[in-house]
Amino acid sequence: MGGDLNNLMMGLGVALQGYNLMIAVIGLVLGIIVGVLPGLGGANGVAILIPVVVSMPATTGVILLSSIYWGALYGGSITSILFNIPGEPWSVATTFDGYPMAKGGRPGKALVLSFLSHGAGAFLGVIMLTFFAPIIAEFALKFGPAEIFSVMILTFSAFVGLGGKSPLKTVTSILFGFILAAVGMDIVSGQLRMTFGSVDLMGGFNFIVAVIGLFGLGEIFLTVEEGLKVEGVTAKVGLKDIGEGVKEILRYPKALIMGTLIGCWMGLKPGGATPASFMAYGFAKQSAKNKVEFGKGASNGIIAPEAAAHGAGTSATLPMITLGIPGSPTMAVIMGGLMIFGLQPGPMLFKEHADFVWGLIASCWVGNFIGLFLVMAFAPIFAAILKIRFAIFMPIIIYVCAIGAYAVNNRMIDVYYMIIFGILGYLFKKLDYPLAPMVLALVLGDMAEQAMRQALIMGQGNPLIFFRPPIALPIMVAALVIFFWPTISSFRKKLAAGKAG
Amino acid sequence: MRKADIAVALLLMGVGILVIADSVRLGFKWGTNGPESGFFPFYLGAGLILCTCIIVFKAAIKLKKEGAGARLMPKGGLKPILWVLVPASVMILVTEFVGLHIAAALYLAFYMRAVGKIGWVTTLLISVLMPVSLYIAFDKLFLVPLPQGLWGAYLIPF
Repeated sequence: MGGDLNNLMMGLGVALQGYNLMIAVIGLVLGIIVGVLPGLGGANGVAILIPVVVSMPATTGVILLSSIYWGALYGGSITSILFNIPGEPWSVATTFDGYPMAKGGRPGKALVLSFLSHGAGAFLGVIMLTFFAPIIAEFALKFGPAEIFSVMILTFSAFVGLGGKSPLKTVTSILFGFILAAVGMDIVSGQLRMTFGSVDLMGGFNFIVAVIGLFGLGEIFLTVEEGLKVEGVTAKVGLKDIGEGVKEILRYPKALIMGTLIGCWMGLKPGGATPASFMAYGFAKQSAKNKVEFGKGASNGIIAPEAAAHGAGTSATLPMITLGIPGSPTMAVIMGGLMIFGLQPGPMLFKEHADFVWGLIASCWVGNFIGLFLVMAFAPIFAAILKIRFAIFMPIIIYVCAIGAYAVNNRMIDVYYMIIFGILGYLFKKLDYPLAPMVLALVLGDMAEQAMRQALIMGQGNPLIFFRPPIALPIMVAALVIFFWPTISSFRKKLAAGKAG
Repeated sequence: MRKADIAVALLLMGVGILVIADSVRLGFKWGTNGPESGFFPFYLGAGLILCTCIIVFKAAIKLKKEGAGARLMPKGGLKPILWVLVPASVMILVTEFVGLHIAAALYLAFYMRAVGKIGWVTTLLISVLMPVSLYIAFDKLFLVPLPQGLWGAYLIPF
């Protein structure tokens, strides 16, 4: 414990250097803008800046990328409260009560409530990260290929069983992601796979390009199809709002604590932030004394989902740096950034690049703290961005996306892929295929395949190696239970109904 | 919606078939030193075909029972999408010749003026200032070279 604190202090020393601090502020501002604009999310914002980051020292670069993420977490709630447009999927639950409260004449209070809850969620998430990450990393050092593969199976089962989308379409999207990852050179034997003689396909598909297309262009297509209607409430955050917000939060400690805990717990699993915010909202509503106020601007209806969303967003860092398994597309892109610097996330990172890891963890503290002040002070200015005509910022977004897609590998073909991924993203979204598992499969594809092949070689072809005790077995069992959870729970419901009838 | 669902699933099934074909070429069995190159993709392709078959089957039954269902796009939804997609694709084609920044300037001007009906002054200001500032930021400050196209090097000689 004491060692961790020392490390954290050392990390804070790095994160608080003038240059890094400045980069963090720039990242946060960009992140908030990205969170506010529809069509640009955290994953996208980070992806576009990857090429820029390459010219920086590793710690600084990753501080920039993660600051964008924190900024986007804060920014998403500004638009859901003031405009009823969720900037990010996890701020959908905030629109239920945030927008009514803003419309009811208290936009400042709604914003303050949401930001403070974000701060609280971040706080617990970062504490967890600081004290649990070293323990998990130490434990993960014992992992062999079979264990790594079983953790991946667990990751993807979580999408199928807990993602809330059709399990069949989730599996399809995961398989498709893995297939895209397999295109190009086989890393084990060096053979070319699924290139069909094309030179362009030899380089494979880069997931950053996929992220820009799927989440950037796809989102823009959806937005223009529905027609963007911006009818907002203008807001100022005064001292009075802040005072009242603090008082309100203290009135509903249960919503805050529950939201934060649900968030931090769900964030450990992939795709956690969005379900966490809905779950927290549901729990808060169920256990509240003021049920009738829900949907009309209840304070605890804002506090719970916001705390959960940010808690989940923060604790998602934990599996990424300790196991090398990102929980969300944004985390995947940040991990891609680490790999560009030659830093392979995973347990060895703590041993080999301790200064870097602790710099990153410390910057989570610093970034979330500064972010809270930035949004408190400048929320109205950021909200004003949405007043810019869509026809002005939309083509600029596409232009910037094209820059990002090209600069990843300096290949023109990637820009064409971006357009194709855009159309694919639109179709998948419309037909209810989840995108996040596909992106993660694309990211983890090579690693999963390598782990599986090595494990099979170790087991001389016997697939039972994936179930070897003491570590792989419980993980695999958990994965299977989660995978079949929809079936199990519907079976239990039928059983209960049968008993009742 | 259901017809589109079937079409996309069939497309993915096609991908699965291609993958299987290539895995068979590479060898998908147990080789001399462990699984061969096509081993993992083979099962991925097989899984994809299986899943898409079920999706097609389910959707086809629903299509027969309940009709086509809601439209994939609401009426009049295609036009605005094409207005985004076509100019953006043209921008990328033009990039091949004159480089990204000049193509983007043309694209910004066209979209803002023709689609957004935005005043000439704003249009010109943004479509000039934006590419210039991004050019300075990326090409000069961060030294990230962006596509120049065939003639871009002559058009922006500094």
